[in-house]
Amino acid sequence: GTAAWRAKDPVGQGQGQVQDSDRVRNHHKQAFEYISVALRIDEEEKGPKLQAVEWYKRGIVELERGLSIDLGPGTGETTERDKRLQAKMATNLVMSKDRLELLAKVVSGSSQ
Amino acid sequence: STTTLTTPQNQVEGLLHEMADEAGLDLNLELPQGQSGSVGNSVASAEQDELSSRLAKLRDQM
Repeated sequence: GTAAWRAKDPVGQGQGQVQDSDRVRNHHKQAFEYISVALRIDEEEKGPKLQAVEWYKRGIVELERGLSIDLGPGTGETTERDKRLQAKMATNLVMSKDRLELLAKVVSGSSQ
Repeated sequence: STTTLTTPQNQVEGLLHEMADEAGLDLNLELPQGQSGSVGNSVASAEQDELSSRLAKLRDQM
């Protein structure tokens, strides 16, 4: 029956805590999606910049969440990869914030 | 046929890893936990690189 099927499900929700590594990657993924949307709007000269601002903000929140995960002192291959990913996320956090700041000025200057 | 089920996991992962590294593609892989490690990470890494270069391009335009 259903219960037996659930018990065999290897990736079911009830499996326990999510690894830090997966949490970092999940925040990366979410941030990537939000910032990609922001960029698509932002790259159009006449795109609605106010919307881009909102998507950048969401992406920034996700990057910050991903960066707040402490991967500890481990030096294993996976940990090293995760740390490199976090370093790239940190770079994009700074660049997104810079872009957001600039856009916020453009938006407030032109429409209000 | 069960051929696909018996393909060694490390072989599959190695191949995916290579593809992701070389193409830098957004594969959107949803692999089960525990198997997604290195593949998921190199895709993620490439995605962050993509954001960096697009943000840099915008920055240099202004």
